[in-house]
Order: sequence, then structure tokens, then C-alpha cells
Amino acid sequence: MQGGSTGIGYGLKYQARCISDVKADTDHTSFLTGTLSLKEENEVHLLRLSSGGTELICEGLFSHPNEIWDLASCPFDQRIFSTVFSSGETYGAAVWQIPELYGQLSSPQLESVASLDGHTCKIRCVLWWPTGRHDKLVSVDEQNLFLWSLDTSKKTAQVQAQESAGMLHYLTGGAWDPHDSNSISLTCDSSVQLWDLRTMKKINSIEHAHVRNVDYDMKKRYTLVTAEDESGIHIWDLRNLKFPVADLPGHPHWTWTVKCNPVYEGLILSAGTDSAVNLWLASSLGRNDSASDSLAAPPTRRIEPLLNSYNDYEDSVYGLAWSSREPWVFASLSYDGRVVVESIKPHLPRK
Amino acid sequence: MRDLLSSFYSPDHSPSTALPLPNTSRFATLDTINTTSFDADQYMNLLVQKSNLEGLLQKHVEMAAEIKNLDTDLQMLVYENYNKFISATDTIKRMKNNIVGMETNMEQLLEKITSVQSRSDGVNTSLFERREHIEKLHRTRDLLRKVQFIYDLPTRLEKCTKSKAYAEAVKLYTGATPIFKAYGDSSFQDCKRASEEAVTMIIKKLQGKVFSDSESIQSRAEAVMLLKQLEFPVENLKVKLFEKLEQFLVDLNLESKELTRASSNQESVPHSASAIAHEASIREFAKAVRAYKIIFLDSEPQLSKLAQDLVKKDFEATHLQIMKQVHSGDLLAMLRLIWTDVLLMDEVLPEASLPDCALQCAHVAVRDYISSAFGRLLKYISDSLMNAQFTSKDGIEEEYPLQTALDAGKKAVTQGSVDALLDFRQLLDQETELLFRLRDLTIDWLEEGFRDFFRKLDGYFLLLCGKGNTTSEDELASFSSGGGVRDYGHGPVFVPAEICRIFRSSGETFLHLYIKMRTQKISVLLKKRFTAPNWVKHKEPREVHMFVDMLLQEFKEIGSEVKQTLPQSLHHKHRRTNSNGSTASSRSSPLRDDRLSRSNIQKARSQLLESHLAKLFKQKMEIFTKLEHTQESVITTIVKLSLKSLHELVRLQTFNRSGFQQIQLDIHFLKATIKDIAEDEAAVDFLLDEVIVSTAERCLDPIPLEPPVLDRLVQAKLPKTSEQSPAS
Repeated sequence: MQGGSTGIGYGLKYQARCISDVKADTDHTSFLTGTLSLKEENEVHLLRLSSGGTELICEGLFSHPNEIWDLASCPFDQRIFSTVFSSGETYGAAVWQIPELYGQLSSPQLESVASLDGHTCKIRCVLWWPTGRHDKLVSVDEQNLFLWSLDTSKKTAQVQAQESAGMLHYLTGGAWDPHDSNSISLTCDSSVQLWDLRTMKKINSIEHAHVRNVDYDMKKRYTLVTAEDESGIHIWDLRNLKFPVADLPGHPHWTWTVKCNPVYEGLILSAGTDSAVNLWLASSLGRNDSASDSLAAPPTRRIEPLLNSYNDYEDSVYGLAWSSREPWVFASLSYDGRVVVESIKPHLPRK
Repeated sequence: MRDLLSSFYSPDHSPSTALPLPNTSRFATLDTINTTSFDADQYMNLLVQKSNLEGLLQKHVEMAAEIKNLDTDLQMLVYENYNKFISATDTIKRMKNNIVGMETNMEQLLEKITSVQSRSDGVNTSLFERREHIEKLHRTRDLLRKVQFIYDLPTRLEKCTKSKAYAEAVKLYTGATPIFKAYGDSSFQDCKRASEEAVTMIIKKLQGKVFSDSESIQSRAEAVMLLKQLEFPVENLKVKLFEKLEQFLVDLNLESKELTRASSNQESVPHSASAIAHEASIREFAKAVRAYKIIFLDSEPQLSKLAQDLVKKDFEATHLQIMKQVHSGDLLAMLRLIWTDVLLMDEVLPEASLPDCALQCAHVAVRDYISSAFGRLLKYISDSLMNAQFTSKDGIEEEYPLQTALDAGKKAVTQGSVDALLDFRQLLDQETELLFRLRDLTIDWLEEGFRDFFRKLDGYFLLLCGKGNTTSEDELASFSSGGGVRDYGHGPVFVPAEICRIFRSSGETFLHLYIKMRTQKISVLLKKRFTAPNWVKHKEPREVHMFVDMLLQEFKEIGSEVKQTLPQSLHHKHRRTNSNGSTASSRSSPLRDDRLSRSNIQKARSQLLESHLAKLFKQKMEIFTKLEHTQESVITTIVKLSLKSLHELVRLQTFNRSGFQQIQLDIHFLKATIKDIAEDEAAVDFLLDEVIVSTAERCLDPIPLEPPVLDRLVQAKLPKTSEQSPAS
């Protein structure tokens, strides 16, 4: 890519929205990404960062029947991932297994582990519990929340529970609490809802409109980061939902997605429709006890939270993933199908 | 050599020895001949080396002559010293001869002195008795005189009282008191009683004198001195006098309170009269204090305290006045009054450091005044803003509700700050010494006050914005006008950079907030538009969709709001041609149209490729440019953000052919109308094109409408909107 880019690029053939870190692969830094093409045959790419960290190598290329709107890698089995797809009016979600590769690279078929049928409206996302082995899976559509029990060896997925979030709430996505396998947060038009999966009931909500994406802090419990259309990024303490603990300016247009770094506390990555990825350091996260102080303090006293802005993109950036193996590496995916892997090492706060 | 000789006889020859040593060793020259460390061989060698035969001969002659000269000098010296020695021997011999006859003379002198001593002893013993007798007689006479004096004392005292020579009387009495103490009970009983009576009379008279104001201060002071000498308990007197002073002070305070009340309530006539009265009483007080001070010499601390109390009370009264609304003129009048008082008092009581005390109090007073003034100003502004908002909300359908709110707010801020500034100006321009000294501090406070004031204003406005009102803009405007006023008002003494910065940043925040609110609203509108229908089953487009109207309506509303609050950009015209993006668009637009028309037939894949290609050739469009404080900039930014949202929303949908055509139609219509609204044509066009391209990408069957159909539908719509716009 022209002009001072530090990242390692990889071009997909078509437009794409989603990229996911392959967490279970402990030997390599790899990412999974899927294309979003209405008319062409879609593909799932398994990318691997070469050992020197200088190149992105396509480890596998698999054809996928429909355009992929969401993709998530299984956190405990590197060969399993889930996709949400649609084509015109049809939609679906499925769990796939990457076939054993015997040297050949020609688009082999993905093996279907389970199909998550039963949704009656457009599916938004499929969530895995991010922390470890868990036999449950959550899928979210516009109005409902499904809890599946998944058996990968038997290749079955059964609906364990299903609850409607109500007709008026258009769910848009969600995140699973890495510290508590029973709690999950869902975004909808006017609020962020916190659900308990044991009772399948909404236990609380943050009344805050236009939330587009949500992510839990892996390191700090009770910390939730939300991205909004116009008003940037907010950081919440789940024990006090009235006011955000801190807020960051976000992007000039919509802030599409936020991702908290799995290792470095307070490091937040956001991607927006202004074709940029911003790296933030939420300083107040570090000392949560004085959260109220930092709120009261004049904004001039705070240090500039924006560490760096990567804006060498040609189109809106929708996909963003930290590598859990090398937590200073992240992959971003812009709509034009370009994967860029960057290292944030020069911006890491000195410890 | 001659120097060497003379140095033998002179006490110090250090200069001759100190110099040559280093010289000879390092630089062997012919000059070393006159030094102590003269080396004959070296000299000889040097001489032989340096000079030719003729020179040597000449040197030889020279040296021979010199040696001869030195010889004669030496001889002369020896002769001279010899002469001196001979004369010394002579002198010693003469001294020996003179000493011989001295001893006998001394013995004769001793004898004579002893005989004189014996005779004087004889005279002394013969006169002793008589002298004793005379001394005894003298003592008796003294005693008699004293007795006489004591017997005369009462009458004398009486005489003194009559002639008012109290000092004399007191002196007499104090002289007699030791005797009265010693013998008063026995021999002089009557005398003692009589004189005591006289003295009590005197004391009474002296007391009267001390208390009477008509007596001169000098005499009163003397009286007190005398009383002290008479061992009268003066402290009581002091306390009594002090109480009197305090009483005086209380009266004065009451008076001054009345005075201030009068000055704040009424006009000049009674004011001046009471002022004169006040001044007179202050003068009186000062006089009394001075008298007191002279009378009781060590009473300064008490008096100082008293005076400071006075000042403090004065300022308390002032403070009360400040708490009520008071004009700076009145404040000034009060301060001036106090200052004159203080000056008067200061003449009398320099030790009390009254000016300092007053200065301190004035500090407090002025600061109070400033803070209260700012508080009032803030309240005034918020009230007027609130009022404006309420009226506009209750709303008889005014055409520009915003305008009124804005006007009110602006007027409030401007008027309020101008008033405050005039007040402060007056305060600063005063030539009174008190204020003059305070001037720097006052300016500091004013600055601080202004800063606080604006900060508070800022916070308050933010609160307003938070309430979701769309009036954030008027605060902005009033802010800038307020800023202007401030600049004008303070000119040289005020350094406005800091506040300007705060100001500008909050202005920016407001603007961003405003834009955010607006775009949020539009986003919701657009979102509803795109999530509601099933685009895959969309019907063929008949007309431009309603949401376009709503969008335009929204833009118009924003336009009118912005027009009321923000200035037009000055370089309006030539920016259009100058802008970087516009050149890009002139390049890209035809390309895009071309591509679009061809894409009817071609496959979507090549289309994507082409769009990548097009992007390669085109500069990256800067959509999110820097915001300026102009109408155009704000509107353009909002339009751009809205179109970007539209673009993003389109990407989330899947369209059938009719859906695509509907969007195409809508965008086509928007293209025609939005030009008048937004400024950055290139970027807007780019965004609109992007929407169509994205829709095509997201369309299962992207066949666009024929241009004539498009035009017909747009033309059908246009008059409708133009009908609507004057009606609304």
C-alpha cells in the first residue's frame, strides 16, 4: 500500500466485513476472514502471519455458500468457526470445520459441524464464550436470543433456550462476558441489554442509544466498552450503569467496532466508517477506584487518549481483531477486502 | 655595580636579588653583569662569542674605565663612614661628663618636702574643733527650716490652688510626703491633715480638668501626669475615657450606617449633607483619639484596636451593601468615605497601620463585589435565556423561535458584560489611593472572575445542550459576541488569550455537539427508511420517496438555525473553485457516470475491479474536513455526514432491481436539490455516487432506470417541493 504504511497487507477478492482471530491456534498468529459478495462465490480465508511477522500467508481458502455477515472462530478448536450468512432473503448461521489439509490449496469444501436453524428473522451474530472450552453457543437475531448446546464431536447443536428481546428492540449484536459465562450483553436500538443466560432474562440495561458494537475488557472485570454511531466510545462499569466511566471521541462518522486488547489493560482499538482505525489508551481504566475522580477532573488534565490513528484505508473499516497470541498485533479489514495487520509495539505504553 | 654598592647601605635590596635569577639561566645576555648571580666565565664566553675584536677592545676600554670609577666610589664611601664614627664617639664622651652632679641635688629636695608636710599637719589639728562646731550649727538650721516648711505647707498649698499652680503644689506635697510618712502620726498631725485636705482638693480639680474637653490637651496631659505623681489610680480614669471613646465610636457607626443607607437609597442632597456631618464627627473622633493618645502615653495598642474596629465595622456595612445589589459608583463612594476617614485617623494614629488594615478590608470588599457582580451577571443571563426558551417553547408559532432565544441570550450576555465592564472600569479608573493600591490586584481578580464566569457560563451552556435542545448554536453566537465585548472592554490591562482559547474550544465543542445531534437525528430517520421495507421485494419506483423530503426538510431547518447563529464564510465563492476535492471530482465524475452506464451490461465483478481502479486514479476523497465556524461549513459537514450514513446503511441491505432503481431515483433527485444547500460540491457528488455504486453492488439485479424516466420522475417531483417550500 502506498504511503508510509507500516502494516502487512493481504487482499481478498471481494468485499468483506468480518475478521476473527484464531484463538485456539497457539503456534501461529492466524486470522479467519470471510467475504461478502452478493453474486460471486464467497470464500473463507485462513491467514497466517509468517514467523518473522513480515508476511501474511494464505493457509487455506475455502468456498462458502453465501455472503458472510459475521464470522467467529472457536476459542478452543482452531479448526472450528461459525458464520452468519445470507443471500437475498434467506439467512442462516452455521458452525463449520476446516477440513484436514493435505497439501492442496484448491478451495476444498468446508465440513459443516452444525447448522443453527430456527431463526425467524435476520441473524446478527454468533458468539462463543471467549475464555475457554464451553459447550454453549449464543446466536442473536433481530429479536431473539438463542442458547445452543454444541457437541463438536457428535456434530450436533440443539437449542437449549430461546428468549425474545421484545418486538420493539431490534437487536444488532452482542458480546459474551469473558469473566462470567452466564452473562452476555446485547446491543439494540436504544440500549445495551445485559442478560443472564441461566434464567434467560434481561437483568439490566444501559439506556444509551445508537450503540453499534460492544466489547468486554478481557483484563478487567465489569468493564464494558461500547461504540456508538455519532458519539464515540464509552467505557462503562457494569456495577454503575448510570454514567460511563470514561468516554473517548471515537471517529468523525460512525464508530463501527471496538476491541479491547486481551493483555494490555486499557488499550482499545476502534474502527470507523471514516476509513481509519484508532488506537486508544483509556487511562482511567487503569485506576478504576478513582473513576469518579477522573470524571470530575477537568478534561484538560487528562492525557491525550488517542495513541495512534491508522488511516491508510480506502474504505470503511468493519473488521477488527486483536491477536491473542501476540497481543501487540491486530488485523483490520476494510470493506474493499483488504486485510492489514499492524503491530502497535511502538505505541505500547512503557511499563 | 653601583647599585650593588648602594644596596649594601639600603635596608631592602630585594628587587635587585629577586629579578636576575631566572634571567641568567635562561637568556644569557650581557646585561647580567649588574646582578648578584653574575658568572664571570659565562659572561666572558658570551662576550667573546658575540662581539668581534674591535668590539672586544672597545668593551675592554669601557670596562677598565668603569672599574676605575667604581674604585673611586668605594673609597669615597669608606671615608664618609669613618667621619660619622668619629662624631659618635665624641657625643658619648660628653654625656658621661654631664651626669656627675645630679645625686646631691635630689637629696636636698627630699628634705624640704618632709618639713612642709609636718607644718600642714599642725595647722589642721589646731582648726579641727571650730569646724566641728560650725557643722553642727548648720545641721540644726536645716532641720529648723524643714519644720518651718512643713508648718507652712497647708497654707502654701492653698495658695497654689488659688493661683492654679497645681504643678507647684504637687511638687511641694510630694516633697513633704516622706516626712509625713515618718512623723505624721506624732508631731505634725495637724499639718498633715490640713495638707491632705488641700491635696484632695487639688486632685478633684485635676480630675475635672482631665475630663473637660474645653481644656487644652497639653494641660490635660499635665494634669494626668500630676495625678500620677500624687499616686492617684490613673487606670480608672483611662478606662473611663476609653469607654467614652467607644461610645463615641458606636454613635459614629450608627451614623455611618445611616449614611450608607441614605447614599444607596436617596440622591445627592441629603447624601452630601450627611457626608459632611459624618466627616465632622470623624474629625471629632480623631481629635479625641489624639488627645487620649497624648494623655495616656502607652495606650496605642488599645487605640489601634479601636480604630481598626471602626474600619472593620465600616467595611461590614459595605459588605452588607454589596450583598444587596449595589452599583460600583456607590461602592466607590463608600470606599472613598472610608478612605478619608482612614486618612484622618492615620494622621492621629500612625501606629495602628490603619491604611494597611483598610487595604486588607478593601481587598475583601472588592473581591466580594466582583464575585457578587459576576454571580448576578450569570444569574441574569441564565434567567433571560431560560425565559427566552420558555417563551419559544410555549410557542405561538413564531417564525424564528431560535432567533428570539438567541437574541435574548446574546443581549443578556452582551448587555450584562458591558454593564459589568463599565462598573469595573469605573472601579479601576478611580484615583483614590486606596483603590489605586489595589489596582493590580483588582485587575487580577477581574481576570479571574471573568475566567470563572465564562467557565461557569460554559458549563451552564453545556447543561443546556445536554438537555437535547437544539439551541446550542445561540450560545455559541452569544459567546463570540461576549468575547468581542470583553476584548473591547479591557483593552490593555486584560490578557484575553487564555479565555479566548477556552472560549474557542467550547465554541467548537458546541458546534460539534450540535452537528452530532443533528446527524443523529438524520441517522435515525435514514435508519428507519432502510430497515423498515423489505428491499428484496421492493416495488417499482413511482416517485421520489418521502424520506428525501424529510431529509431536505431537516437540512432546511438546520440551514435556518445556522443562518441565525453563524456568520457566512467570507471566501464563499472562490473556495468552490479552489478546493482540492473539486478538481478531483471534475476528473472523477464523468468517469463514474461512464462506468455506471456501462455497468448495466457488465458483470458486477468487473464493476468492483473497476471501482478499485477508479479509486486508484482518484485522490482519496477527504470527506471529513476541518470544521469552520461558518454557515456553509456546518451545513456541508452535516450533509456530508448524513450522506455517509446513507451510504453505510445502503451497504447493509440487499436490493432487488426496483429497490435499486428507487435509490437511484432518490439520489438523482437529491443530487439536483442538495447542490443549493451544501458547499463542497465535489465531496457531495462523490458521496452520492458512492451511494448509487454501493446500491448497485448490493443489488441482485442492478439495472438502472433510463435517464429520461429518471428525469421525468424528478421533474414531477420538483414543482411539488417548490410548492411546499414557500408554504412551509
